[in-house]
Amino acid sequence: MLEWLQRTAVAVSIRDSLYTFPVLESIHVVGLALVFGTIAILDLRLLGVASTDRPVSRLMADLLKWTWAAFAVTALTGGLMFSTNALVYFHNTFFRAKMILLVLAGLNMLVFELTARKTIDRWDRASTTPSSAKVVATISLVIWIGVIVAGRVIGFTATRATVPAEAAPDVNFEDLLGLPK
Amino acid sequence: MHQFALWLASTPPSVFIQEHNAWAIPAIQSVHIVGIALVMGSVLMIDLRILGLAWTEQSLQQTSNRFGPWLTGSLWLLLATGLLMVVGEPVRELVSFSFWLKMALVAIGAAVAVSFQRALRRHEQQWGATLAHRPSIKALAVLTFLVWICVIFLGRLIAYDHVWGSWSPAQRL
Repeated sequence: MLEWLQRTAVAVSIRDSLYTFPVLESIHVVGLALVFGTIAILDLRLLGVASTDRPVSRLMADLLKWTWAAFAVTALTGGLMFSTNALVYFHNTFFRAKMILLVLAGLNMLVFELTARKTIDRWDRASTTPSSAKVVATISLVIWIGVIVAGRVIGFTATRATVPAEAAPDVNFEDLLGLPK
Repeated sequence: MHQFALWLASTPPSVFIQEHNAWAIPAIQSVHIVGIALVMGSVLMIDLRILGLAWTEQSLQQTSNRFGPWLTGSLWLLLATGLLMVVGEPVRELVSFSFWLKMALVAIGAAVAVSFQRALRRHEQQWGATLAHRPSIKALAVLTFLVWICVIFLGRLIAYDHVWGSWSPAQRL
């Protein structure tokens, strides 16, 4: 299946393009920055470190739609990058570690839903939160930093499918704009 | 610039990072990305507050007080880790079109952030009453967010400077 994936037209067109992979990577970084940036705001509230003057439920309403939208963008660009060299990424230790961490992040969210979230009405406005919320928030911060580190290390340990040795003279950016040399 | 980069690459701190590049470069870049995330989270919240899409039961001043210090602090963290990357890989960073365009946009983004926080502190009443509702201020909020997104793109493109063709000084080395 992985071989089929990297032979698909989408995977081939990304590999053959000078720009697509770097652009996908850039969108991936924007997405993950917004995922971690918004999650960190909520986690710091749950830890009682910041935004303690706002109800946790209001914070969640303000933040989580952006978190999920950014996560969708990150997952889509990540999937496209994976498709270009699926076999290599699949066997990369850091890619696997990152996937496991993402699953753990999901389970950690589930724990929050099943524990502290159930009694949120009682501590929504309080600056001190239940210890279960603090534990979930700490684990969340650790996991997401781990996801970022593992993701960055993939780039250093997995060989890219095709690295254009140099810009093909007919497709680089200045020619794209049609500017004189 | 190439000569300077070569000299920098021969200095002891640079040699140290080069000798330990297997872990040092990914580690520095990871901290840099965490800093980017804190900047983007803070900028998003301040901009959403200006647009009236989040933090609405608090004043703009309160929202700025909450995120301004995180934004400024994260920018210092990015400067520190960014400097380490320049010291560790001087030619890759300094002899690249993406890097210098990025620095120009970072200067614009940081200048907007600092002057916005200053203006807010100085004219708090006006901001709450009228300024924050002006379309030009809302447009500036969107524009600033786009500048930071471009900064992220250019940061990643340092690794792919050849996409700029002959604009990339690396092509002439």
